[in-house]
Amino acid sequence: MSALELVNIRKRYGSVDTLKGINLSLASGEFLVLLGSSGCGKSTLLNIIAGLAEATEGDVRIGDRSVTGVHPKDRDIAMVFQSYALYPNLSVARNIGFGLEMRRVPAAERAKAVEKTAKMLQIENLLGRRPSELSGGQRQRVAIGRALVRDPKIFLFDEPLSNLDAKLRMETRTELKRLHQMLGTTIVYVTHDQIEAMTLATRIAVMRDGHIEQLASPDEIYNRPATRYVASFVGSPPMNMLDATLVDGTAQIAGSQTVIPLPSSLRSQASRKVIVGIRPENLSLALGDPSKLTIEAKVEVVELTGPELVVTSSIGNQRLTASLPPRSQVTVGSLQRFSIDADGLHVFDAVTEKRIDA
Amino acid sequence: MTNNWITTRAWFLMLPLLIVMVAIIGWPLFDTVRLSFTDAKLVGTAGNFVGFENYVRILSGPNFQRTLITTFWFAVLSVSAEMVIGVLAALLLNQQFYGRSVLRALMILPWALPTVVNATLWRLIYNPEYGALNAALTQMGIIGAYQSWLGEPGTALASLIVADCWKNFPLVALIALAALQAVPRDITAAAMVDGAGAWSRFRFVIMPYLAGPLMVALVLRTIEAFKVFDIIWVMTRGGPANSTRTLSILVYQEAFSFQRAGSGASLALIVTLLVTILAVAYAALIRKSAGVS
Repeated sequence: MSALELVNIRKRYGSVDTLKGINLSLASGEFLVLLGSSGCGKSTLLNIIAGLAEATEGDVRIGDRSVTGVHPKDRDIAMVFQSYALYPNLSVARNIGFGLEMRRVPAAERAKAVEKTAKMLQIENLLGRRPSELSGGQRQRVAIGRALVRDPKIFLFDEPLSNLDAKLRMETRTELKRLHQMLGTTIVYVTHDQIEAMTLATRIAVMRDGHIEQLASPDEIYNRPATRYVASFVGSPPMNMLDATLVDGTAQIAGSQTVIPLPSSLRSQASRKVIVGIRPENLSLALGDPSKLTIEAKVEVVELTGPELVVTSSIGNQRLTASLPPRSQVTVGSLQRFSIDADGLHVFDAVTEKRIDA
Repeated sequence: MTNNWITTRAWFLMLPLLIVMVAIIGWPLFDTVRLSFTDAKLVGTAGNFVGFENYVRILSGPNFQRTLITTFWFAVLSVSAEMVIGVLAALLLNQQFYGRSVLRALMILPWALPTVVNATLWRLIYNPEYGALNAALTQMGIIGAYQSWLGEPGTALASLIVADCWKNFPLVALIALAALQAVPRDITAAAMVDGAGAWSRFRFVIMPYLAGPLMVALVLRTIEAFKVFDIIWVMTRGGPANSTRTLSILVYQEAFSFQRAGSGASLALIVTLLVTILAVAYAALIRKSAGVS
């Protein structure tokens, strides 16, 4: 039985198609992250699952029951909002217990549930306070507590960490992961932050212009991106995208004499314009081993971030970024030969932008 | 030294305003205080000093007490009705529906009309011979014969309150509507997911955002209702049998109809004092509620 199923969801605002037919099915206990830049339709999709917006077409099924037209309160969902959305004049305890209170759960039972949740989130000492007396991180915990206490079929998170500062965001991220592992809940989580998506998800749906570009595990998304968009959206620094031409089992980089021999699996492909994708961490300094795949580029900028040395160089008029170990010897202005990890080579069709596989 | 200079400059910059204020408010106020201790007539005698005689006579006389009660009822009933109707109208106009902006603009109309025009309109509606209210109520069979709504002591005040509500509820609605638009969409959405019905959403989610602005509306409207003059003067002149005579009408009658400038002045000062007490009490209330949230 799937916990959540979306069948051909479409949403149209006036003449704009915000969602263009979304299909996906989520097993119980999965952590699905909807990842995409702003305007891709991910929040709209979440609101449709929650029942806060109606789909123009299609069906939402929660636990094998169609909930199209069903009020949010009757969908057995809980939602955590980006703005926390706490009730300003109610205490933390009443905020957490509000859903139970509205569902007429007896006070004693409610208090017990609130206490248990507060303990789990380590906010027992805040129960008597008002939201205005809490820090951002504490408010976020209360918002999460309000969702947890109800024990619904599905949790919906709408960019819950984006209002937190960087350090707190990381801590809360880990906390969320721990909670998910501990409780085994089914979660749909919206974010534009690829690190959040990579670290939290059991599956990621990368969305673009109202459709799902790729739906796969974080590992698959990162190591076998289905399209150029997915490849460039996930990863930091982003993947290098070099315009090239496929000729006789090699990729000739546009605007330069560089020719990259392709792995044998790609040698049978017909000649055409392609994009060669190489992740910065799949480049290293070539140490004269002729058997390795190498590429030569002129070093322009060297930035030490701490754990790595980010080297930006050029091949003709194209950019090449490499993440190297911090103590690598690189001279600005010099020609540098980089070797390429053959497993880290991605080839996309220049026209369809889809991945080319053997 | 620097502080001194800043203070000096501040006073210097405010000086023109202070001069104007002293000239148009300070001096008349001072002169009213002086007058209130005399038996001056509006024309003729400059009056003699009579001490607190005016005050004692007014406060112990039946006119003042009866007028104070009338004013109290007028203020309480009209303001509370305006608050309720205003909030309901704002909730309605905050919904998404076709023609909402037109309706929002139309709603302001009664408030934008000059009071005299509004009062005259209502006098026509209440007219005992050809008024629309009489026509509507008899044709619906609710009353048997045409009534003199403004001519009967029993209905005059209520009729005035209705007219005043009609004129002033849009102000409350406007303030409430602005406050409603400030309620974060996420919070109402969260309440819906949490299972809160319309009443719970209003009580727990919307009300906290409405309370502050409504308090301001309440203060403004109460003070205005307490010193109401124009609408009553145009519609009933305080009659019949003084049943709609409020404090401001009484001040006017004393000072201008009976030409007793001295006691009119002391009455005016009493009204000023009452309104000041109201204003200060409300200001404290607002500070308190602002401090809480």
